[in-house]
Amino acid sequence: MQLTMEGVLALAPDDSSAKAARGLTSPAKWPLLGADERAAWGECQGSGSKPYQTQVDFNGPAFRCSCPSRKFPCKHGLALLLLRAQDGALFKASDAPAWVNEWLASRGEKAQKKEQKLAEKAAEPVDPQAAEKREAQRWQRIEGAAQELQRWLSDQLARGLGALNPELLRGWHTMAARMVDAQAPGLGQRVRDAADGVRQGEDWPERTLHRLGLLQLACEALSRRPVLSPAVQADLRVVAGWPQDKAEVLAEGERMADRWTVLGVAHEERDAKLVERRVWLRGERTGRTAWLLDHAFGGRGFEQGWIAGTGVEAVMAFFPGASGLRALAVDPLGAPGAPHWPMPRMADEWQATAARVAACPWVSWHPLVLPDAVPVRHGDRLLAVAGERALPLAIGDADTWALLAASGGHPLQLFGEWDGRLLRPLAAWRADASLVAWQRSGG
Amino acid sequence: MSRAWEPLLPAAMVGTDRQAGPLPTWPGEVGQLVAQVTAGDDPAANALRTAAILASCSLAGAQGESWAGPLPAPAGDETWPALGDAPLLRLILWALSDGPARMHHAVCLALARAGHRLPAALVPQALELGRRSLALRPLLGPVLGERGLWLAAQRDDWRYAAGVGQAGADEARWTDGTIEQRRAFLANERGRDPAGARERLAATLPELPAKERAELVAELAAGLSDVDEAFLDELRNDRSREVRQAALGLLLRVPHAAHPQRAAGRIAALLRHERVLLRKRWQIDAPAEAAADWKADQVDATRPQHESLGERGWWLYQLARQVPLAWWAEHTGLGPAELRDWALGTDWAEALLRAWRDVLFAAPDMAWCEALLEAWPHKLLRDDPAAVLALLPLERRERHWRRQLHNDQVDLGLVVSRVLAACPAGETLSADLSVDLARAVRQRAELGAASAGTLRQDWSLLQQLPELGGVLHLDALAPLADLPRPPDETPSYAHHVQALTQVIALRRALHSFVTSNTP
Repeated sequence: MQLTMEGVLALAPDDSSAKAARGLTSPAKWPLLGADERAAWGECQGSGSKPYQTQVDFNGPAFRCSCPSRKFPCKHGLALLLLRAQDGALFKASDAPAWVNEWLASRGEKAQKKEQKLAEKAAEPVDPQAAEKREAQRWQRIEGAAQELQRWLSDQLARGLGALNPELLRGWHTMAARMVDAQAPGLGQRVRDAADGVRQGEDWPERTLHRLGLLQLACEALSRRPVLSPAVQADLRVVAGWPQDKAEVLAEGERMADRWTVLGVAHEERDAKLVERRVWLRGERTGRTAWLLDHAFGGRGFEQGWIAGTGVEAVMAFFPGASGLRALAVDPLGAPGAPHWPMPRMADEWQATAARVAACPWVSWHPLVLPDAVPVRHGDRLLAVAGERALPLAIGDADTWALLAASGGHPLQLFGEWDGRLLRPLAAWRADASLVAWQRSGG
Repeated sequence: MSRAWEPLLPAAMVGTDRQAGPLPTWPGEVGQLVAQVTAGDDPAANALRTAAILASCSLAGAQGESWAGPLPAPAGDETWPALGDAPLLRLILWALSDGPARMHHAVCLALARAGHRLPAALVPQALELGRRSLALRPLLGPVLGERGLWLAAQRDDWRYAAGVGQAGADEARWTDGTIEQRRAFLANERGRDPAGARERLAATLPELPAKERAELVAELAAGLSDVDEAFLDELRNDRSREVRQAALGLLLRVPHAAHPQRAAGRIAALLRHERVLLRKRWQIDAPAEAAADWKADQVDATRPQHESLGERGWWLYQLARQVPLAWWAEHTGLGPAELRDWALGTDWAEALLRAWRDVLFAAPDMAWCEALLEAWPHKLLRDDPAAVLALLPLERRERHWRRQLHNDQVDLGLVVSRVLAACPAGETLSADLSVDLARAVRQRAELGAASAGTLRQDWSLLQQLPELGGVLHLDALAPLADLPRPPDETPSYAHHVQALTQVIALRRALHSFVTSNTP
């Protein structure tokens, strides 16, 4: 298993856990350390009389610890992996104790049961008529909301954006709330985003029109939904904010087995306690891009660990939709190994992006690999210059200097999320090395 | 944002109600598409549909901005390899982010000795440390590598490190180097050709800011002789107080220089050898009024506002600090300790002792250091004796510390704090004293929880442990490498003991790295 300190720390639910874990990486704190090819385990001296039993299943990696912490993974689990990354020779024991074997066995069983349950659920005839009826009702409400939104959009354009004042903008928020009431929270969020962008930055009129234009497109598409392809209908469902059932995706989604290179991982704090994680993968044999979107509440961490710059054997189940990006990784995952970095031509990356926009214009993040890009400070912006194009980067101060240091003015392969205006870089690597040269640390 | 939006803006901003005319047209396929979907007669719907097309097409076609200019020059080729030893790197990463400042020095010194530079990922952090620590800057230069120079040049508060690369010609280090590089260059030349270095400095001096003038003038301390007097005499009239002080300090060390001799003449006039009963005794009286010729010799007649000395005491202090210490012994026939006791018995004790301490820093003298340290007049000299102690060679300093260590009245934490205060970064104690200190700490750690003076209750000693690990002799660290970790240890105990363990691991790793990388 290929482990780096940075990669392990990236799994921490928050900074204080990462710091606490670093403090536990003294072998003296661990009276017992052991590992085999499946897992690592250890006993960590805590404040109680009995040491904590900590274990990590390399597949995933998945964590378990007997400590009472609500953080996941807890500092002990992280510290155990850090120690493993630091010095594998410390892990002297090789016969897994009963508490490790039991857990590993139960994990295997659980995964099997989950599969079984899914299969049963898929096979179950759950009164298809009732389900269809419920579905039809929700579409009806959404389509009604879209009609209302369409009229409202026309009103805004008839009145003109220049007249917008705080009072009129409150009307936009009211409209957003009506969309939520009509079970189309996705449309509501887009209205709210448009309202928040008014009078922000010099080009706000263009950007507001851009947002309203995409809403217009959604309204028109919803008005003739029944004649559209199932893939576009699925995209419209996402735009409306009606999530696909994950179990359904696992059961029926298009499946693809491959060794997936983790191109980058983005964490973003949404609300006070909600963290969104976006993981971008590229299949080594298929070249397919997969996007995993997860949320975690209150520092609970994520069930699956993904470390940028590793390669993992796994099966993806893709969500329906014309963009074909979003997927779920089917458990169990393989152990992370060396990455197989893609080396695309710039023109092909742009072509793929354009095709994706054509298929689904509502995609908010496009995965983009910039080959041979040089980060350049230009005024107070950081640009990634690749060939004759320069992409402005969305990047914080500390990350700016770390990225510059990694490049030294020489070209790097840069992966990021492109929104048509800014590239949010997540990781960089050198053409001749497999190690990550840089990865985003801040939000 | 693409300019494609511009034609749509007027109607969208004032509203299609007021600007109801037909929409403009767009060229090419996008224009055809717009024309196709805006055939209806609802102007607002037409504007929205146009926006929908422009939004999706501009998204599909967006490829950033065009870039025609040349790229900025990349960092130069490195002469030293980057440190690649992973376990050592991890310890260094810890030291730079959480370790004591002393270990920052140790890391830089060791890497430079082994001819390695920091890997690029650590360069921003190292530059940031140098921004906050002037003392670290001279050591950072070599280990930052070309990548460090290149990065430092791009940020104002890192520019201190943006000098001339290792491949740069010697002369370029003087003309274009950082202040550290220029100091090193001047010191080097001063060693080979003292007069040449002085003349080079004299020629450049007018162009330099005050702080750099003072720092470079200080480099003349090496190889000081009579021939430097004229130049230093000129500098006594420099615009900057710092430079004037530096010149006066150096003049104290030039044999037979005229300025200190004039100063000694003024003091001699204030001293009288008087008979008191059967014994002859030296008497001193502060000047009664300021003299006209003081100003030309940098004696300031105006007493500063917050000065603790009275006006006459202030005058005496100023006169006395221009006189070499050796003169007092010659003139009175008394040794440093006798002079100290004598001064304490006069009305002008504070003026004299402060003056002597100032002279001591400009021209260190071991006998005088010892005399002051033996009976540090805490009431008169409010600063810490550590700075005077630091003037002594290590072996003499250790004698002081050893005395304190074996004195049960002095708390171990206090001894350690004195050792750390007067032991500059980069220096380590002798094996003997280190063994004693390490043993003393270990004993405190092994005391039962209930006994007095146990390490876990001694917060002062506890928090100094990581730094102590940085000054003890490498061979004496073993007893501290595995201090007992009681199951009920406090978080603070765990933190400091863990940090000490890290420091020790780092020192050992650096040592073996240097040994295996030096021929």
